[in-house]
This record gives sequence, C-alpha cells and structure tokens, in this order.
Amino acid sequence: MADALLAANGVTVRFGGLVALSEVDLEVASTGVTGLIGPNGAGKTTLFNVITGLQRPTHGAVQFAGGDITRWSPNRRGRAGLSRTFQRLELFGGMSVRDNLVAAWEAKTPGGVLGRGSVKGRALVDNVIARLDLAGIADRRAGSLPTGLGRIVELGRAMCTQPRLLLLDEPSSGLDGAETTMFRDLLLEITDPDRGGLADGPVPAVLLVEHDVRLVMEVCGQITVLDFGRQIARGTPAEIQADPAVIAAYLGDAA
Amino acid sequence: MLPFIVLGLAAGAAYSLASLGLVLTYKTTGIFNFAYGGVAMFCAYVFWQLRDRWHLDQWLAIPILLVVVAPLLGLILEAMFRPLAGSPPEVQIVVSLGVLAFFTTLVPILWGGTPQQLSSIFPLGQFTVFGDVVITGNEAGTFLLAIAMAGALYFLLRRTRLGTATRAVVDNRDLASLVAVSPGAVSQGAWIISTIFAALAGVLLSSQEGLVTYVLPLLVIYSFAAAVLGRLTSLPLAFAGSMILGLVQNIFAKYGSSGTEANFVSSIAYLAMLVLLLAYGTRLTEVRASARSLAGARVVAGGRRDLGVGLVGVVIAFAVLPHIFSLSTVHDIAEAMAYSVVALTLVVLTGWTGQISLAQMSFAAIGAFTAAHIAGTHGGLFPLAILVSVAIAVPVSLLVGIMALRLSGLFLALGTLAFALLMDTLVFSTRSISGGITGLNLTAAKIGPISLRGIHAQYYLCAIVLTIAAAGAWLLRRGPIGRRLQMLRDSPDAASTLGVSLTVTKLAVFAACAALAAVGGSLLAITQTSVDPNQFSFNTSLELLLVVVLGGRSLVSGALIAGGFDLVTLLPVPTAVDKYLPLGIAVSVVAIAREPDGLPQVMLTQLRASTAVLYSRALRFTQHATSRPDPKPVSQHG
Repeated sequence: MADALLAANGVTVRFGGLVALSEVDLEVASTGVTGLIGPNGAGKTTLFNVITGLQRPTHGAVQFAGGDITRWSPNRRGRAGLSRTFQRLELFGGMSVRDNLVAAWEAKTPGGVLGRGSVKGRALVDNVIARLDLAGIADRRAGSLPTGLGRIVELGRAMCTQPRLLLLDEPSSGLDGAETTMFRDLLLEITDPDRGGLADGPVPAVLLVEHDVRLVMEVCGQITVLDFGRQIARGTPAEIQADPAVIAAYLGDAA
Repeated sequence: MLPFIVLGLAAGAAYSLASLGLVLTYKTTGIFNFAYGGVAMFCAYVFWQLRDRWHLDQWLAIPILLVVVAPLLGLILEAMFRPLAGSPPEVQIVVSLGVLAFFTTLVPILWGGTPQQLSSIFPLGQFTVFGDVVITGNEAGTFLLAIAMAGALYFLLRRTRLGTATRAVVDNRDLASLVAVSPGAVSQGAWIISTIFAALAGVLLSSQEGLVTYVLPLLVIYSFAAAVLGRLTSLPLAFAGSMILGLVQNIFAKYGSSGTEANFVSSIAYLAMLVLLLAYGTRLTEVRASARSLAGARVVAGGRRDLGVGLVGVVIAFAVLPHIFSLSTVHDIAEAMAYSVVALTLVVLTGWTGQISLAQMSFAAIGAFTAAHIAGTHGGLFPLAILVSVAIAVPVSLLVGIMALRLSGLFLALGTLAFALLMDTLVFSTRSISGGITGLNLTAAKIGPISLRGIHAQYYLCAIVLTIAAAGAWLLRRGPIGRRLQMLRDSPDAASTLGVSLTVTKLAVFAACAALAAVGGSLLAITQTSVDPNQFSFNTSLELLLVVVLGGRSLVSGALIAGGFDLVTLLPVPTAVDKYLPLGIAVSVVAIAREPDGLPQVMLTQLRASTAVLYSRALRFTQHATSRPDPKPVSQHG
C-alpha cells in the first residue's frame, strides 16, 4: 500500500517471557476504515498501545505520515494527529462532557493550557456536540454516564483533536444492538470524504479494533487479523471471510 | 566491628517483625498501614501498663498483649479498612494516616508525654562469644524471637490451611472466593497476625530505645524501607532488608553516634527507601488495582460572580477581624493564614491533580529559613528573601517532581515521605541552615518603607497574600489549567494520548506548589520571633494533610478551614476541647476521608437534607391545619 498513513513494521513486544506481539506488520490506509481483529488475547490492544506510544516495542518500528515515530512520546503523537479511544473507558470523570471535549482541544493546541485558540476551540466543541448529538448531556459529569454514551463522548473527545488517524479500541463493547448500529452510522459519516471531518479539520482515517465481526465486515475496507501475537491474514472483508487461517483461529482447527 | 554486627542484627530483628507485619497486610488486603508505628507504640504502652504499672507477672502480661489486646486491635483495624478495599489510594493513605494520628495523640493523653523506660522482656544477663564479643540477653532474645516469628509465619503460610487460603487470595481474590476461600476470614487473619507482630516490634524496639511517643513511629518507618526492598509484597526480601538495614546502621554508627554522623545514620533508611522507589519506578504496581478517582474531586460549576461575592465577603471579614480581636488573637489569625497558604498547595496537588505529597512543609521550611537568614536582621530584605526562597524551592521541587513522573499513588506518598524525612534529618537539622534546635531569630521584616514589626502589618500582609493566592487558585481551577490538572487526576493515559506532556505538567505543578509553600513559609516566619526545624518536620506535613482533608481537599475553602483549625482553641471552649481536638480531628478524618469536599460540605448536605424533610413535614402540617380545598389533594384522609 503506497499511500499508507500509518505503518507498523516487525513490531515485537515481550513482557518478561511472554511474547505479546511477534513481528507484526500493519498498514492503515489514509482514508476509510481499516479493521484489526483477532480472538481474545491476540495482542490487539498491545498493538494499539505501541502505535499510540503507551507501550515501547521490544523491537520494530512505527511510521506515521511518512516519518518514523517509534521513539516519540504519546503526547507528541497526539499532537501530530493520532487520537484514540480506550476499551476500558478513560473519560475525565470529574469534568462535564463539554469540558472533556474542551480539554482535548486544549491538549492538542500549542499554548492551549494558557487559553490560546479558545474561541476556535469553543466553536469546534459546539460542532462536535451537535454532530454527535451530545447537547442533552453536555453539562453532565462524564463519570456518571452509562458505557454507551461514554463511548460516544470518548469518540467526540478524540474528534476534538482534529485527528488524521483515529484509533478506536472495541467501541461496540458494552453497547446493545441499536447503539452499535448508531455507532456504525456515525463511523461511516465521520470517515466519509464528503461529509466527514469537523470545521476545517481533516477527514480522519480510522483503525478499528473490534470484537463484533459483523460490524467490522460492514465498515472496513481492509482488515488485518492477529492471533497469538502474529498476523495471520490481511485483505478485504471478502478475502478475510474466506481465509482458512482466520476460520481456524476463530472456530478452532477442527473447522 | 563484631560488637556492632551483633547490635545490628538485634536492631534488624526488631525492624523485621514490623516489616513482615506491614507486608503481610499489604499483600493480602492491599492496605499499606501507615499507622503501623502508632499501633506498635500503643501496644508497647499497654504492655508497660500491664507489667510495670499493674505489676502483672510478665508471663501473664505477654499473653494478654499477644492473645487478647493485639488480635482485638487487629480485628478493629480490619473492620475499619475493609470498606476501603476499592477506594482510591489517596483515601486509603489518608485513613491510615488518620489512624496514625489517632494513636500518636491517644497515647500521650492516656499515659502522659514523659519518656519511660521499658526493661527488656528477656533475662538481663550477658555472655561472651568469639572471645571478646559481649552479647546481652536482650540482643540475643530479640534476634532469636524474630527468627522464630519469621519461621512461624513461613510455616503458617506454607503448611497450613489458612496459609493456602491466604496465598490463594493473594494470587486471585475473586477466584479464591469461588473455591470456598473466604477473603474476609483471610483478611482478618492477616490483620490479627500483623498486629501481633506490631505489638512484639513495639515492645522490643521500646526496650532498646525507651518508651518515647515520637520515637517509635519513626523507628517503624525504617521498616517501611525494608518493605520497599521487597516491593511491599515479598516477605523474605522484607526480612532480609530489615537485617541489612540494622547492620548498615550500626556499622556506620561505629564511626560516630552524635551530631552529623547520627543524622546520617538515621537517614540511611530514608535514603534507601527513596533510591529503591526510584529504581523500581514504574515496575511497582499496587496489589489491587484501586478504583480510579472518578467519584473524587470535580470541577464545580460557578461563575465569576461567585468569586466576586466570595472575595468581597473575605476582604470585609479580613478587614474587620483585626478591629474586633485582641492583638494576640490577630497574631494567631495571621499565623493561621500563613498555614492556609501552604494548605492551598495540598488542595492543588492532592485534591485537584491527584498527586499525594507528604512533604509540603519541607518547602515551607525553605521559605521560613531563607526569610530568617536574609531578612532576620535586615528587615528591608524581606521581599528579596521571598524571591530567593522561591528560587531555592523550585529546583528542590524537581526532585519530588521527578519522583512523581515515576511513581503514583501509594508509592508517591512513600517517596515524598522519605523526601520529607531526608530534608528533616540531613538539611534542616544542620545548624548553619536552621539554627539547630534553638532555631533562628527574626526581628522585623519590612516591605519598602512599611515595617512589618507590628502585628497588624503582619496580619494584613498574610491576608493580602492569602486572598490573592486563593482567588488565583479558584480562577485557574475553572479554566484550561484546572482542566489540565483534572486530566492528570482522572486519566493520565488519555491525557497523554491527547497531547498533554505528563512530564511538563507534573514538574510544573510541583514547582508551582513548592514556590507557593515557600511563600507561605516565609509569611509564617515573619509572624514569629524565631523559627526552628520542629515547626516544619514531616509530622507537620502529615497534620496539615489531615486538616486539609477535613476542610475539603478539593475546595479552596478547604485550605482556609485547614489553616483555621489552630484557632479553635481561641474560642471560649473548655480546655478539654484543646486537649482532645487532635484526637477529634484524627477520628473525623478517618470518618470522612472518602468525601473530597470535606466535613463542612458533608454537614451542609446533611443540614439541607434534614431541613428539606422538616420543611415538607411543616408543609403537610399546615395543609392539614388550614384544610383549604387543594387542586391536588395531599392525601385521601386530608
């Protein structure tokens, strides 16, 4: 893939004797949604942590927008346009929903902590609140929200950094069927080259880690499959569904 | 050399009992018992009461202590700490510091503050080994008893059902309860054993060092260092660490046992603790993933109008107070305001940013001693003194800031505790810095042409600085900076992936708080005629944290109230209040540690709830009485 926005090459992570990731390659296209799936314990979240800088890889490299970011701090990556949500919600529970979004804008904006760009930030936050339909809960304490709403707020918070790449870690876990459908539509809208993005920000590409295979098949252009820390397949949804290695990983070797 | 090794092994043996007890409760229940030294001291006094005052036979007193008193105390502590299992680390730390304060204030109330001698429980004789090494019965007995107790603990954990159950709970609490192991029973067992070890450590250490109320809690902090060697979870390493510490201390003691050398010897443990914590760094993980502080402090809504109203009220109050009260009271209020400035830094650090610091009074000390040196005799240099003290405090704060980069929660609390103790023993005990025990004298500070000799001048200076600092903190809390601090508290991971540099933020907040604490310290100095290290010891940092928790650690008003606690004694209250106030503070802290808004808010909420009930009852009553036709009938019988 020549136009890859993000590329992980030969990423290996060892915790003591345990190999969490072994020589994993991953490419994320600069538009649309790329999927990352795999059974429990396959190393998906570890790979996310390597990409966002929360986990140093034992070896391997991560490239973003053509530059090597392997040794960058998480905050430098954040400011460069990588933004993520968390499998276990990591909202700023003591703040209102609106303040969660404002804080994200301030975090990404140089000088934001001293109040620079606050006018533009307010406009952006209002925009995100309107787009994600959060107006009704904007003044509620984020820590008091149910999981489903919390995931939407985390998505909104990530959007407020105007990311070029949005990494979503199991956004549908804890959501019911209707909420998942809503989330899917939201995802498609955000990444749509015609309707997506916010204000004058870029239309983000998405890397989606997901358990819900149906959701992944519906929204992803490319899918990478991990099992036991190794990449076992890569391709379009149709190719992945037909891949014998994937079927074996999900259903066991007998299948 | 040999005699010092013998002494070292005996001292190490006593520490080892304490460190084993600490590690045992920490690894089974996730509670690090800062009150351990207080418990040990209380038990030592109980033993002294039984044997030396009531003249019970020693072999009756020991079983009463170990079989009745200590287990009962252990069960009480267990019942108190069990509800805190899922609480944020700051709540657990504050509660156990509250318990420590409870014991250290209770013991002098019960038994008086005069040091007592506690004779050894072992036969007094002495014998000679290796030709010329004299060993006393106490040394030999202490050593053998510690080995025996460690062995018994090992046997208990490895060979008995309770031990298997304990290890199951340590491995996986939830899984253990599925296979019919009761975590409750295991936890009770751990607290009972731990308290028995505390009682023994208390008796043994007291017969080496005497029964002195302020010494024993300090001695037990030595065993914190040994426990840290085993990352608070390894019993064998904690035991080994204690022995090594005892040996190292006594071998160094050979080269001098007074003055600087003695200070160095007592700082070895703190230094070891600091170095070990920094070396382990992020590899230290807390036993049970404590709940995150979501329920904790929140940014309260409230506009600038609130600030305006509050400010006008405070300014009027500050302006009126000196005209109502006598000079000595005005002086006390000025002093309280200086404490409030320091307390404000605890609100910012602990309440807003979620970083626990047990060392804020050390920064206040930097301010106070700098003021005394620079402006003590040349009052006109006071503004310069403030600048210099800030210039010293900020670089020193980087040490604590760097700790905060690598440690969090309990481990940061231990690190800042070690830092405060090191500052006490190595820096502030130096005569050239602090004037030693007698302290440094101050005559009259001046700002420009204004002399601060008069109490009113001091008062107004403190009032102005406190008002500016409090209003500034209040404003910053509601803006981008407040949000930045709250991000750090609620989710450091999310903050950093969004683009916040944790390094810069933590160093900045520790530096700002150190600077403000130094300013508070210099203010405190000018309200005094002399300053001495005792006013700023690590104990005062702990006390300040407790009153801030009581006043409300997430509120600016909490800092004001915290400073004001000293003023309670000015009220026309019986002297008993004076005596029991610290005890009351300790008990209240334990009771309300979960409430980030402190005691006043809890009381207000209660008051509102009860007035609401009263109001609705009154309403119903009047509706009954007048029995007017109501579009919405209140009740069928009405």
